[in-house]
Amino acid sequence: MIRLDNVTKIYKGETRAVDGVSLDIKKGEFVFLVGESGSGKSTMLRLLTAEEPATTGQVHVAGKDLSRISSGRVPYLRRNIGSVFQDFKLLPQKTVYENVAFALQVIGRPKNIVTTQVPAILDLVGLAHKQKSFPDELSGGEQQRVSIARAFVNRPLILLADEPTGNLDPNTAQEIMRLLDRINGTGTTVVMATHDQAIVDQMRRRVVALHAGQVVRDEQHGVYE
Amino acid sequence: MAGFLGRTGYFVHETWINIRRNLTLTVAAILTVAVGVMLVGLGLMARYASTNALGRWQGGVQFEIFLEPNIAGGQIDALGQELRNHPDIERIQYITKDQAFELLEEMLVDEPELLAEVSIESLPSSYRIVPRFAEGELIESLAAQFRQRPGVYSVETGRQQVDAIREWFNSFRWIVLLMSIVLAAASTLLIFNMIRVAMFARRREIEVMKLVGATNSFIRLPFILEGMLHGLAGGIVGAVAAGVLRNHVEELFGRSEILAFFRSFTVTSSQFNTAIIATVIMGAVVGALGSAFAAGRFLDV
Repeated sequence: MIRLDNVTKIYKGETRAVDGVSLDIKKGEFVFLVGESGSGKSTMLRLLTAEEPATTGQVHVAGKDLSRISSGRVPYLRRNIGSVFQDFKLLPQKTVYENVAFALQVIGRPKNIVTTQVPAILDLVGLAHKQKSFPDELSGGEQQRVSIARAFVNRPLILLADEPTGNLDPNTAQEIMRLLDRINGTGTTVVMATHDQAIVDQMRRRVVALHAGQVVRDEQHGVYE
Repeated sequence: MAGFLGRTGYFVHETWINIRRNLTLTVAAILTVAVGVMLVGLGLMARYASTNALGRWQGGVQFEIFLEPNIAGGQIDALGQELRNHPDIERIQYITKDQAFELLEEMLVDEPELLAEVSIESLPSSYRIVPRFAEGELIESLAAQFRQRPGVYSVETGRQQVDAIREWFNSFRWIVLLMSIVLAAASTLLIFNMIRVAMFARRREIEVMKLVGATNSFIRLPFILEGMLHGLAGGIVGAVAAGVLRNHVEELFGRSEILAFFRSFTVTSSQFNTAIIATVIMGAVVGALGSAFAAGRFLDV
């Protein structure tokens, strides 16, 4: 599903954010990317969504070689990838329902799909009763669940999460992890960059540790350190 | 089909939200476009009007062969015969010294002391000639043929005057064209800026759109549509203003004695319509260009 061949990313001719990384992630895997700030986790995720091109090496996502993909095809690649962030990136002037529906509307999904899919996904994340609320009326955990609903509503093959529990208390973080685990259970590949030691240790999934842009550890049922 | 309608609804909705959000900027942009395209429209009409007027004068243009005061009667008749038989000449009229004096009397009716200086004998008699075709070239060649004849004092054509007026109008057209270009550029920039502000105000939405895989054209279309609507609105306002101004100006020409010269400056209704339609289209084009530039520049993957 995701394959990196000796990928290097150099910013502005100096910083080696990712340095010679090779990685193979199979369909349905759940992978933690760990490492301190600046170790290259976020850059890795940006390479996968084609927000940044690799300086050298090849990135394959969902069967596509991203070095050969035209900029016009990038949006279609992203429809196969859901993204979740630490700061949620919800639209404050839209309701919960509208925020999730927006993701389907802007890729041209017909109205009947929107009206069936959105309530279903809100039900899945446990927010069916809050669909008319605005983001600032919700707790952090609820906002993150909305953002996960938005990322997953189009049933992507891959879900990328960049520190999704970074702003949440441990109990709420647990809820989010249960949700991501359920999504992974439907066959969706999940790649999650995190600092959260407790969560990584508890989940016992594949752990890829980065240091200075290089993979220093890759374990099938790993822990944080 | 349902998808298409859904999208159309989306575009209309988004465009409306953008316009409402930036009302002052919207008004400024529309007015600038309006003034710019109004000038374009007026310039076009002035162009038509001057062409019409010049055509009319040239059509009515005669030329006049003035004879030496001491020319012999036989020479006058011989020349008249030749002119009458000339294939390029429609008709001629002989103006005697007495008739010339009468014409002068009419012209100098307010200045009798000037008229007193003139004796009938000192005035030249002349032939007024209407050529078969009212073409400047033909008139010039006819004038040249007769200028050197014995007994001919001078040949006057209206061409010099018409040429002078034509030149004046040409420079006027250039000035209007230049001003229109400057204003069109200003309007384009203003719309460019307005769309940039609109995109900045909606940068979170744009970010999310990119994130979930909206195509660039999908993201850009509401902004381009918005710019085009502004341009169109400006075009309509400008066209109405140009139409109103045209009526006022023609009325003024009709009323004022000083401006009586300009009375032949009129446009036909089909020319007027062409100018008005061109004005509206120009507005829409300016709007679409400005917003397309902005959208292309600030919305990359």
